[in-house]
Amino acid sequence: MSGPEAASDVPLIHRRYVFGLLFRLCVNFAGGVGILFVILYFALSRPLPGDYAGIFHALRTLSPFFRAILSVSVLLYALLACGSTSALCVYILHKVAGPLYRMELILDQYRSGAHTRTVSFRHDDQLQPLAQAFNLWIRTLHRDRHQWLATMMDAERHCLQDEATCRAEMEEALRKVAEGMARYR
Amino acid sequence: MKNPPVPPHRPSRIRYVSPRFQGPAVLAFAAIIATGGLIFWKLVDSAFQRVFLHASIRGHYAFDSAYDIVRDLLAWHLAGLFVGVFLTGSVLTLLLVAATRHGIGNAVDSLRRSVDGDLSTPTGTGSIGEFDRFGKKIDAARSDTLASVLKIRGEAAALAAGGISPEEFRLRWDELKHRIRRVAP
Repeated sequence: MSGPEAASDVPLIHRRYVFGLLFRLCVNFAGGVGILFVILYFALSRPLPGDYAGIFHALRTLSPFFRAILSVSVLLYALLACGSTSALCVYILHKVAGPLYRMELILDQYRSGAHTRTVSFRHDDQLQPLAQAFNLWIRTLHRDRHQWLATMMDAERHCLQDEATCRAEMEEALRKVAEGMARYR
Repeated sequence: MKNPPVPPHRPSRIRYVSPRFQGPAVLAFAAIIATGGLIFWKLVDSAFQRVFLHASIRGHYAFDSAYDIVRDLLAWHLAGLFVGVFLTGSVLTLLLVAATRHGIGNAVDSLRRSVDGDLSTPTGTGSIGEFDRFGKKIDAARSDTLASVLKIRGEAAALAAGGISPEEFRLRWDELKHRIRRVAP
């Protein structure tokens, strides 16, 4: 595997999901064509008049009649196929669109300053590495924040001693915090 | 007197339909179906006119219905419609999957870089509308975090440099702790 997925064992989009989508599309389109065939079959299989003149006349006048039948049946096919494909798209693609929508909400919450929780998708959702990467980032930020605060609070304990020691420890703590933050660029 | 029953807690409903993402896909599939139907209608209509006219002037009517005349022609055109629409739909599906893998893969890489402290390299999710918007949201969250961290770092360095009165130092120290608590709250 190469590219962005190389760093993770879990693929962004499983092959099984893609094949499932293609199979459902295949069945869907085959169903649409099948319905079109049935309509045209019933329209075309009406027996022609028995005598020679009748058949000749019928064949000469069939084209305009079948044009209307064909137009209606193709329109019906297009509407049915579009409707079922739309439903299929919404049903199948929500496993990709859902996680994206959820991540957007979490990112908006993060930016608004609300409490940031780790994100989890449903087990059959795609894009699982996105949640893993986001959670890892948030956990790293939480860990760093706790570390900086712990350094500062540790320095505050020295304030029980004399003022000069307290100030020196606090300044030392501040230098450590600034050094810890230096990795962010 | 009995207390009114407390309504049961309902977990917030997750919306898994995102018209911004699924809408263009649905429209693209609908366009493929409509185009396929239009081509089928055009080809079959002209073929019917030609075949019925040819059958009427041939004079040897060894068929019971119009379906007997156009059976093979109809079968081939229906097969062509199915194959054409399915193949084009499959190509569209694979393109959607590739675009998602590329766009979201870059977002995942960007979040993984953020774990190492790189909050400034742009995500670069590509120019496709929904992914571009998503990448910009991630970049905005990273940028806010970086701005916050840099501000705290500058303040910590300024405080550590000394030359501040004890009262002001204490005030700014508390303010700094408050700011650190607001990083990834």
